[in-house]
Amino acid sequence: MIPRKRSTFSAIVDRPPLNLPGGARIVVWTIVNLEFWSISRPMARQVLPAPTGQVLLPDLPNWAWHEYGMRVGVWRFFDLFRRLGIRPTLSINARVCEEYERVAHAAREAGWEFMGHAWEQMPIHQVDDQAAMIAKSLDVLGRFAGVRPKGWLGPGLTETYETPELLAGAGIKYIGDWVYDDEPTEIRTRQGPLVTLPYSVELNDIPMMLVQHHESGYFTQRCIDSFERLYQEGAERAKIMAIAIHPYISGQPHRIKYLEAVYDHIDRYAGVLHWNGVEILDWYLAARTAQ
Amino acid sequence: MSTGQKFMLPTERLDIRRTAVAIRNVIGRDPHGWLGPGLTETWETPDLLVEEGYDYVCDWVLDDEPVLLKTRTRPIVNLPYTQECNDVAMMLIQHHKASEHYDRAIDQFEQVHANSVGSARIMALVVHPYIMGAPHRLKYLRNALAHIREHPDVLFWTGEEILEWYLGTTGAGS
Repeated sequence: MIPRKRSTFSAIVDRPPLNLPGGARIVVWTIVNLEFWSISRPMARQVLPAPTGQVLLPDLPNWAWHEYGMRVGVWRFFDLFRRLGIRPTLSINARVCEEYERVAHAAREAGWEFMGHAWEQMPIHQVDDQAAMIAKSLDVLGRFAGVRPKGWLGPGLTETYETPELLAGAGIKYIGDWVYDDEPTEIRTRQGPLVTLPYSVELNDIPMMLVQHHESGYFTQRCIDSFERLYQEGAERAKIMAIAIHPYISGQPHRIKYLEAVYDHIDRYAGVLHWNGVEILDWYLAARTAQ
Repeated sequence: MSTGQKFMLPTERLDIRRTAVAIRNVIGRDPHGWLGPGLTETWETPDLLVEEGYDYVCDWVLDDEPVLLKTRTRPIVNLPYTQECNDVAMMLIQHHKASEHYDRAIDQFEQVHANSVGSARIMALVVHPYIMGAPHRLKYLRNALAHIREHPDVLFWTGEEILEWYLGTTGAGS
């Protein structure tokens, strides 16, 4: 089904406002992405291509660069969010539970929400049997976390035309791939509705640092600029601001302080909720019904 | 044809060996360390390096501390090189302005320095003469090193010195 058939066009100004409890203006939704990069395939990203730009396998240096995130970088995230008392949503390739059990265990112990993020990091278009991959991923994550994920983010946000059917059929309640609004929305599938939560490809360290190649400090600037605008608009209607991070990028020593600075800034404002995906979903379903 | 090609292209082992010979001819002894061109490796590279007499490699940019890698014979030490604080990646791929090399080096240093309380850390800074040696970039490297040198608890070591310390500290080489 093409996107327009799933979602009738809707202008935000034509919708009744959604309201947050306690007069809050904005929800900050932090998503930490944990991935598995198979050494047998081209790496998901490259910080340094081989001399003359050739694609060569194995790509050891870029594999190792990602591995740094799991060995070192993610522990800076755990320190930060423990200090702040924030429990992010964990967007996790299910294979991470097997290959990096130590890291997945720490996230579970810290009470982070496990959101499905495919089996391993590759475009979903290239997965031979999507339905089987989704089922296997949710089974592994459900067993590991003790509760079956309600949310899903495609690897690189990728979907084919049938992905939403397969996800709804597997019991998924919300997805993050539709970055087309500041509010949750509901889309149609043949297996029943799915809620879209406003994930971000703007406040996201992959596009900002690896695609657009901004200097490290610009991450703070863009997040604060977005926050202040959404906070202002949050006086009229609830706003959600997602921050998407990866340990091999924002967990680098030279970048972590700019992530910390974002939360230090947000901390100075009243009326800010730090919610995970399931909390946003539950609020949205209730708030919408109340209208 | 395939046989002819085999004689035209040096094997990886030969390339590693003749690199050591070329360096020995200049410095009078064999090199201890190796960095792959663009950090590239085949499945066999660490095995070949050990068999050809190398003691450390830098292609595995996966930690802030040295790590031991298994090979089919004795282990080899990996030292924490960097693609992040590296002028090729920063200036030629990410196209940052020259001063970002200084800013990132300082940010990197301050975080690694903070993490080093209780457990030593290594910070690599990678430069190429055709990049940071350009007149408009050099001062940013000079200023970064000057800033770092103001700290009394920082050692400026070569790979060999880091290796010797690491083996002595961990007993991994014995």
